[in-house]
Amino acid sequence: MNNSIRRIRLATAFGLVFAWEIIATLGTFGILYNDVVPHIWKIAYAIYEELITAGFYRDLGITFAEHIVGFIVGSVIAIFVGIWMGTSPLVRGALEPYLNAIGSTPKIIFLPILFLMFGTGIESKMAKGSMSAFFPVVFTTTLGMVLINPVLIRVGHSFNLNKWQMISKIYMPAMVNPVITGLRLGMAITVIGVLVAELKFADGGLGYRLGIYYEQFRIAPMYAIILIIFAIAAAANVGMTRLQDRVNRHMMPTDRKGNKTTATASGGLGVVGTN
Amino acid sequence: MADILEIKKVSKTYNSQSDNPVIALNDVDLNVAEGEFVSIIGPSGCGKSTLFNVIGGLIDDHEGEVLIEGRPVDGAHKDVGVVFQEESTFPWRSTLDNVAFPLEIEGIDKDEREELARKFIKLVGLDGFEDHYPAQLSGGMKQRTAVARTLAYEPRIMLLDEPFGALDEQTRMLLGDKMLEIWAALNQTMLLITHNITEAVQLSDRVVVMSYRPGTIKEIIEIDLPRPRSSEVISTPEFGTYVGKLWTLLREEASRGMVDEEAAIAAT
Repeated sequence: MNNSIRRIRLATAFGLVFAWEIIATLGTFGILYNDVVPHIWKIAYAIYEELITAGFYRDLGITFAEHIVGFIVGSVIAIFVGIWMGTSPLVRGALEPYLNAIGSTPKIIFLPILFLMFGTGIESKMAKGSMSAFFPVVFTTTLGMVLINPVLIRVGHSFNLNKWQMISKIYMPAMVNPVITGLRLGMAITVIGVLVAELKFADGGLGYRLGIYYEQFRIAPMYAIILIIFAIAAAANVGMTRLQDRVNRHMMPTDRKGNKTTATASGGLGVVGTN
Repeated sequence: MADILEIKKVSKTYNSQSDNPVIALNDVDLNVAEGEFVSIIGPSGCGKSTLFNVIGGLIDDHEGEVLIEGRPVDGAHKDVGVVFQEESTFPWRSTLDNVAFPLEIEGIDKDEREELARKFIKLVGLDGFEDHYPAQLSGGMKQRTAVARTLAYEPRIMLLDEPFGALDEQTRMLLGDKMLEIWAALNQTMLLITHNITEAVQLSDRVVVMSYRPGTIKEIIEIDLPRPRSSEVISTPEFGTYVGKLWTLLREEASRGMVDEEAAIAAT
């Protein structure tokens, strides 16, 4: 990476910390909102306190379970529906308008229904999570199917591949990349979906914990939870991006310096689904 | 030499709902001898691609018969290997794995198929690029990978659908030389579909000129230029004569095609 870019990034971080501390200090003198912006060392200490509390791990476990179950259920269904839609123009024509409509609706409006159907425990969070995961995965899978280079299919036929060989040697490898893109986006959106549900109505989970601290006006632990969630989500995204780059390492043309271009810079979370 | 391919009275009509039915091929008869290099040339809309698909067994609802070594063609088959006009290498496979693909499908074990694949990679002049992926190769190299992949299938007839059509003229000439080398080395029967007159004359024993709709064989020209041949042959007066002769035959067909196309655009 360019050295001056690195310097600017570092300066930005320092600038933010500095500004934060100024506001925090003003707060202690009662000039600005008192305690809304706690000193960074207070937040750091709160993070430490969270990390040595059993309750934190219980909540982390709950959120993790809700996320994983929701993500897996939602994305597995989405992959099957996506493949189905991709292979059959009829099914695609029938389902796509509805999926597009729901996909671009904030899924948060379905929360009350999910609470009524599944209760306020972990089941409703899993349902919300799978709903969040479903849309990005179904869209990318369908698109991946539809956009398979037709000449590759013809190559398969010309070499007399049977149906299973067509699937395993051509469709599946061609689908890996779009599906992983969908899974990466789905994973990130599932975190949001689960946390939103937990914030609203729950008896456990990191979102619930965050809500409790907020209601009790315990601001430093609240920031601690926010930062921990942020760190976990960022790490998960980096992990998925690495995985995607690994899968794609051959497909990426090398740039002029001989470096492979990577998928790291792909944004577009908002395009695929809103929560 | 025995005829390896016999095309007997092949016709194919496309029925579209709105327009009049399009007669893509009408009573096409053609025999190709083993080891022969034959080009089929014609304007867009002369049914070249349809004929290609019929021989490759990719279209089977046609009239007439296609026989390879006396056996009728029914579906895609081992006797015909196809190289497509579009880039058709698998982007997720290295050159070696791309070329070994048909062997993998046949269930040949890894060591043996890689050894065979290396042989064909060398033949198309891509040795040293075995571990490269298509994204790292030029257009010409990708097409050569596709050629090697089809050669590895060891078809009785190799069917090439303008494989170098998307490449620049100079690369195309050089790859033509490469094809002649391969053709001579393997005694491979080759059938090239093209709209490039120079390419057809440079490579072929015979050039089949097709007419614009309905697609019929207008004339077959024997190219009596010395073998072994290379792209340098284009500087000879004989070469120019053949090119001129072909253009005379094609000019009328191409103009008819152009008039039709323009009328169709005007109608929309």
